[in-house]
Amino acid sequence: MSTTISPKDTIQPVEASAEVKAVHQQMLRRQKLNRAATYGVAILIALWILVPIFLLGSMAFTTPEAVRTYPKGVLPFIPFSFETMNFFLQSEGIIPGLINSIIVAIITLVLSTLIAAPAGYATSRFLFPGRDFFRLSVLAVRAFPIVVLSIPLAVVFINLGMYDSVYSLALMHTALALPTTILVIGSVFASIPYELEEAAQVFGCTPFEAFRQVVLPLVLPGIAAAGVFTFVMSWNEVFAASILTVQNRTLPAQVLAVLGQSSEPYQFAGGFFMMIPALVFIFFIRRYLFNMWGQVSK
Amino acid sequence: MTDERSSPKTKKRKKINWAPYWLILPSLIYLALFFIWPMFRGLGLAVYNDEAALALQSEPSRDAATAGTLPQGTQVEILDQQGNLIPPEEAEQANLITEVWFQISAEDADGNPVEGYVSESRIRVREENEAGIPTAGSVRTRIGAGAGTLTDIYSEANENADVVGQLEARAEVAISGLEILEIWYQIRGEDNGQAVEGWAQSRYIQVFGETETGRIDRGNTGQFTTEYISRMVNDRFFWPATITTFLLMLLIIPVQFVLSIVMALVIQARLKGNSLFLYVFTIPLGISELAVGILWFSIFTQSGFINSFLQTTGLINTPITFLSADTRYWILIAIWLAEVWRATSIVMVIVVSGLQGISDEVLEAAELFGATLWQRVRHVILPMLKPSLQVALILRTILALQVFAVVIALSGGDVVTVLANETFRQYSDFRNANVAAAYAALILVISMFSAVVYLRMIRSQEEMAA
Repeated sequence: MSTTISPKDTIQPVEASAEVKAVHQQMLRRQKLNRAATYGVAILIALWILVPIFLLGSMAFTTPEAVRTYPKGVLPFIPFSFETMNFFLQSEGIIPGLINSIIVAIITLVLSTLIAAPAGYATSRFLFPGRDFFRLSVLAVRAFPIVVLSIPLAVVFINLGMYDSVYSLALMHTALALPTTILVIGSVFASIPYELEEAAQVFGCTPFEAFRQVVLPLVLPGIAAAGVFTFVMSWNEVFAASILTVQNRTLPAQVLAVLGQSSEPYQFAGGFFMMIPALVFIFFIRRYLFNMWGQVSK
Repeated sequence: MTDERSSPKTKKRKKINWAPYWLILPSLIYLALFFIWPMFRGLGLAVYNDEAALALQSEPSRDAATAGTLPQGTQVEILDQQGNLIPPEEAEQANLITEVWFQISAEDADGNPVEGYVSESRIRVREENEAGIPTAGSVRTRIGAGAGTLTDIYSEANENADVVGQLEARAEVAISGLEILEIWYQIRGEDNGQAVEGWAQSRYIQVFGETETGRIDRGNTGQFTTEYISRMVNDRFFWPATITTFLLMLLIIPVQFVLSIVMALVIQARLKGNSLFLYVFTIPLGISELAVGILWFSIFTQSGFINSFLQTTGLINTPITFLSADTRYWILIAIWLAEVWRATSIVMVIVVSGLQGISDEVLEAAELFGATLWQRVRHVILPMLKPSLQVALILRTILALQVFAVVIALSGGDVVTVLANETFRQYSDFRNANVAAAYAALILVISMFSAVVYLRMIRSQEEMAA
């Protein structure tokens, strides 16, 4: 074998042997097959998630008569109508519950972001003694279930005369949301290089200006995503809401309280109504979900 | 976390930089107030009875020496009673038996002006101001023989005080103030065969009709007790709830892990429309537990979608009853499906984040060397995902302890029950915060056990990363 390769050798295409071609063909076929199989699996899983939602949606957007008929049909084979949903929304306690839910979720969102943002900034920008301990404690706190907190807080709120109020429920939801929010905001800040802030300071910004003009616009979408997640969490939370409120129930607490005595149109429309924020908001924050939960396994 | 980004600050570490501490302070305070303190309070509620015993006073005064204690629920004899002034802020307390005394000025039986105190029961109120406070009235007529017709006025709001004058029946009086007295009872009861006698405030005593006997309704001294825990363990729902909770964990978690790894691999394959698949796969993450319960109820209920499907396709003639006490296993299956449906997304997100940490080169190399999918998963992906999977496992274990609304929606909360549901039932239906706290404490202990493992794991990971 010669050690020098003449230009001719490289230019002239070499006919691959039939054997090599066959292997190549086989690999291509296998890759195609794999791809098709992956699509198949992806579509199956998507159906597993979407079909139940569609079934419930069919019940929510039809007439109560169609809900009560057996065997049940699905849209578009049953009449499309807002009657069931209207019936649910006009039931006793639903509109007040909806308002309470939104109030609680918004207070929770604002409060948890205000408290968590500085902590998130501190853990991502400073190396200080106790930082790891702080982050570990936050992680540990997140591991505790809502169930454990609700009972003592209910007793405390009763003693303080703050029981059955949307504000005390929002305080509790903030406590639940805080650990996640701190970690997420921390990871959002960590994704912005400190050099950017430094550069802004070199160009004459004060540290605060550098933060406001350079960092804030970059982290805002991430913080907003964390806020949306907090909103959805508070909107969904049913255990603490049922324990801490009696008259001023939030929407899930109200639905749960009357679940046993309510009709199927009410239950199904209510179930679907509670899903709507998830369907809408998850779409916008799906990219950030990995920021939120990826943090844990880092 | 990488450290190079904080380099500019760390160089001047000699002087302590207080800024980060100020920044984390609000969240520390908040978590201490609304997380750590309630946690301890909850443990306290489970093992400590605030009202276990009543301390009796030797005199009808709070400052008097303690004459002994009687446990809550003791039957007592009432020997005597006396009214004692209480501060107005305590007048709102529950179960007080009070007497009201008016401070009045009037003309006494001899026509001399007199000022003093007289019990409310002796005055008929004639006038009140806008706030509803009486301002004027007249003396009631005394009924009954031997009582005399005159009403005594005392120098203080107390029948043992000096009499400063006497009023005739129907005499007009001006009311200038009122004082609220709480009744104190002198009681005698037995504790372990020993007679204890002393004074106690009416708020602690439940008096029976003839006012000679009563029982200690609640105490003012706390004691540790195992009563709540034994009531929890002896509750007929305790063992079914515990067993179901662990059974569900065992059923749900393995399936979730397999499914979430498959989902993560699909996402990682970056198909066309990947973003859409990602959206669909993460939808359940944001759906409330209650809505998921209702969703699967609509599928499994007697006139639900499974029966509708089977009936339409002619496989059955009459609907099958899935969710009834006779078919508990179907309820378990429904809860299992609902939880797998709902909570797999979170595990998937964690696994995807973990997968992103594995470099593509490693996977490509494995593929190039002809490793099959199974071999790649078994020998490359799983070992590298181990940290993420451990975290997801613990998180799932803890979240599985919270399954609650799904169970209520699918079983009504009676037929099949879990620990979280029992906590709720004890609190809401039985109004027993202490037994509920015992359940919560049990869940806390299980969670803490998991959390310790969780923490250790993360620490070892951080050491590995460092």
